[in-house]
Amino acid sequence: MPGERMGKLLVGALLLFLVLLPLFSGRYLPYVVVQILVLALFAMGFNLLLGYTGLLSFGQAGFFAIGAYACAKLLLVVPSLPLGVAAGVLAGSLAAAFLGVLCVRHTRIYFSMLTLSFGMMIYSLAWKWREVTGGDDGLVGIPRAPVGIPGLFEISMGPMTHYYYFVLAVSVGAILLLRRLVRSPFVLILKGIRDSENRACFSGIPVRKYKLTAFVLAGAYAALAGSLVPPLESTVTPPLAHWTHSAEPVLVTLLGGIYSFSGPMVGAACFYLLKDFIVRFTQYWLICFGSIIVILVLLFRGGLVIFFQEKVLGFLGAKTARGAGRG
Amino acid sequence: MLEKLVFQGLIGLNLAMYLWLLSAGLTLVFGVLGVLNFAHGSLFMLGAYLAFTFYGKLGLSFGVSVLFSLAGVGLIGAILERFFFRRIYNLEVPYQLILTFGFILIFDDLVKMVWGGVAMIPPMPAFLDGSLLVMGRPFPVYNLFIILFGIAVALFLWFALERTWWGRTVRASAFDREMASAIGVDIPRIFTLVFVLAAMLAALGGALGTPVRVVAPGIGTAMIIQAFVITVIGGLGNLKGAFVGALIVGVLTAYGILLFPVFELFIIFVVMGAVLMLKPEGLFAK
Amino acid sequence: MARGITRRSLIKGTVAGGVVLGTGLGRVSMGYGKPAKGKEPIRIGGQGATSGAHADYGWQMMAGATLAIEEINAKGGVLGRKLELKFMDEELKPATAVKNARYLVTDWGADFLFGVDSSGSAMAVGPVLPELNKLCFFCHAATHRLTEELVAEKGIKQIFRMVAPVYQDALAAWAFKDASNIKRWAGINCDYEYGYVAWNLFKQTMKKFRPDVEFVAAAWAPFWTMDFSSHISAVMAEKPDGIFATPWAGEGVMLLRQALLLGVFDKIQVWWQAMGGSVDLLEGISREVEGNKFQGKLWATARYIHNYPDTPENKKFVEAFRKRWGKFPNYSAESSYSSIYAIKAGVEKAQSLETAKVAAALEGMELKTPAGPRLIRKEDHQALYTVPAGKVMKTPDYPIPVLGDLKVVPAKDYFRNPPFEPVAATK
Repeated sequence: MPGERMGKLLVGALLLFLVLLPLFSGRYLPYVVVQILVLALFAMGFNLLLGYTGLLSFGQAGFFAIGAYACAKLLLVVPSLPLGVAAGVLAGSLAAAFLGVLCVRHTRIYFSMLTLSFGMMIYSLAWKWREVTGGDDGLVGIPRAPVGIPGLFEISMGPMTHYYYFVLAVSVGAILLLRRLVRSPFVLILKGIRDSENRACFSGIPVRKYKLTAFVLAGAYAALAGSLVPPLESTVTPPLAHWTHSAEPVLVTLLGGIYSFSGPMVGAACFYLLKDFIVRFTQYWLICFGSIIVILVLLFRGGLVIFFQEKVLGFLGAKTARGAGRG
Repeated sequence: MLEKLVFQGLIGLNLAMYLWLLSAGLTLVFGVLGVLNFAHGSLFMLGAYLAFTFYGKLGLSFGVSVLFSLAGVGLIGAILERFFFRRIYNLEVPYQLILTFGFILIFDDLVKMVWGGVAMIPPMPAFLDGSLLVMGRPFPVYNLFIILFGIAVALFLWFALERTWWGRTVRASAFDREMASAIGVDIPRIFTLVFVLAAMLAALGGALGTPVRVVAPGIGTAMIIQAFVITVIGGLGNLKGAFVGALIVGVLTAYGILLFPVFELFIIFVVMGAVLMLKPEGLFAK
Repeated sequence: MARGITRRSLIKGTVAGGVVLGTGLGRVSMGYGKPAKGKEPIRIGGQGATSGAHADYGWQMMAGATLAIEEINAKGGVLGRKLELKFMDEELKPATAVKNARYLVTDWGADFLFGVDSSGSAMAVGPVLPELNKLCFFCHAATHRLTEELVAEKGIKQIFRMVAPVYQDALAAWAFKDASNIKRWAGINCDYEYGYVAWNLFKQTMKKFRPDVEFVAAAWAPFWTMDFSSHISAVMAEKPDGIFATPWAGEGVMLLRQALLLGVFDKIQVWWQAMGGSVDLLEGISREVEGNKFQGKLWATARYIHNYPDTPENKKFVEAFRKRWGKFPNYSAESSYSSIYAIKAGVEKAQSLETAKVAAALEGMELKTPAGPRLIRKEDHQALYTVPAGKVMKTPDYPIPVLGDLKVVPAKDYFRNPPFEPVAATK
């Protein structure tokens, strides 16, 4: 199919562009891309719950923060970036498994409220448990530790460019993994649960076990995103766990579109660049942002990806648009 | 010790009344319209700003200012419902939440544009100034007034919803929208009215708070999460539950500060989580 | 949803993302890359809280810096180059503050940074500065750790703090050490680091002067407390003689108003409102001060007070600020104004914009500022200047309350001095 080949070509071009980016851009753009990738991973994990399983979590920032704090704690003791990230993902997944058992028994708004309350518990812990979390000032002076095997080789992560490639590699890996997963029977069952939980139940599917797995995966992706932050900024602070931060993946995913794999990624890029752009020109950025959200919900409900597929590509050529209607 | 506890309890009761006025509208809108409104706190804030303008700036009497503020926020509520919320009743929850989240941002900035960023506080109305001795310590007349007023509002709402024709219609449309519509209830009109009522309740809380609490951008967002907790404890959509939930949170907060000041923020969310896990329909589900 | 569709949407989504990113790139790189040499302006990037409940603090910071830049540009700029300002919202969020700093330096091309309201944001921006290698002049964030840990201990020379830190709160002990009738102190404090350290510094210093004093109660109010009645009534239950309170800005106004309602001022001897000398707080309680509701028992300090010192520089600054903005300057305005002049002095002495050279030029320099002479201490890059404590009162000279009956203690006495002993940052 020519459309698909063109698409593949464009994905390749985008990747090539990202790989070459630090060679010709200033210092700021790679930093922005790292932030976008972090947000994209956060949102893609979240969408496994929202788009594929039909569960709206309002406490994902809790797992993001656990990943960030765990990674920071480890890096302060052992200077190894891969170990730090692994610790973050592990801690986030364990927390998600534990809280998930309690959450997945509930559906709809009760699920959302329960995740909100757990997220805020994690936030208050980060704020109050000073001995471990550093309280409101958070943990400071986290090193951007090197990647390597002791005694064999070691790559310094000091320069931003090196860290940029590390995050890019990790993100591409994580996204490919998720793409495989999305094409597996596992996700088909999740969608079945989303569309009709009762029917799934009657077919003998252990619904809760599936939901729990999705919850843990979403938590792991949130924690992975979170664990990429402390080496970047050398600080972690409680606002990472606040409910307003939990709103970000929701926003980003809706912006990009919940029923497409790439929706959260596109949403993350648009969200970040948009905000970055607006705050440069006005101190009244909240009102601009709020208005955009309102317009989005009222007019572009399917998300940008679907809008792009239907309207832009549809306009360019009927051939490409055919079949992409629902996504 | 007993006098300390009684006094602190009264303080908590006063705190609870503001929370009640805020949660009442939140739970009402959820119960009838089915939307969880993050921006409900912004209506509380707008109520405070309007009351401050009429009373503190233009020098109208306190009572008249509160009424004007209710009218103003009621109008804003009507516009919000008619032109925005009405379009999202049939959408999925995430869209509803995010739309209301958008309005939080808009209102926070609007308020800053109109009134500036400085926190403001008007004088205490003369007829409510002063204090009474309770357990040998001075207790403000204003707090007493708030406690009585909050209870009065609760009674009024109970009467309006349980004992009037209008209340029955509202309950019927909350219970089954299509059935109510089939027997001739004008659902869109009921929805607008309920939303306006909820907006006015929030505004009432904000307006009554002006002489003792500051008026500043973001005061609504600061309280909305507490209102969520209360609404959950009482059961989403349950008005009586919201009243009791507000009392619990208000009094717990006051005693928490007196007795175990370290973890009071944490406790509230533990209570919320526990209720959701053990009795998700709320403590007062029938 | 079939598999093929998912893949197609992946591909097309990526295309959409690429388009967005591509246009983003075009835009982002537009402002960047111009060499800031020759007659190009010197770029100064600032940030403060300009949204939310403390929006006025960020606004004041922006206003003070704007005034200084306008004055300097009117006189020909610095080294013949004009100054240019960009000011951003830090939202009191550390992550936003770091992003702003990175944007300002690596994209907009800032030569100097200043501002930052929250301590958390300052502690997050500080460690990034060596990587950005630009000087940042902090104008509000009060945490002692910024200068004690990051500068004196870790040697981050890019940090300068132009404003009095939490040390200012220990002044209460100096102000009341001789009041023998005040034996029982209670605290109503912010439930975050600033509150803990302020309360501990006060207790430490007070104990040194007065071993007989007792600290009978402490209540802790988290950020965004809307009702302090519970806190007030909890500490009043212990019948204190004096109250030490740290909530600031709108929270401070609310706290004082609610304390009046609860009849606190009939029972105590003195109330210390740490940052009560800030203009927004003084305005907020103007009516009560005029009506003598506080019965002369309310004391305060700030990080600068508009009626001190009585010098031509200060009078000129306050008048210029009022003329430009129609308001009185608070401490964040004064410190951002002085920061801009510090940049000017440093660059002119170093005859260069190079970070290391300007930093070296500023170390040990004494500047003439509206708040009086400011000495930039070499060891920790903390500016030393004296701000007195005083009774909140109304005088005919000013439309808003001022601090009177001033108690002036030299900054070198009540500031902490290197080498620093650790201070507990816990309740």
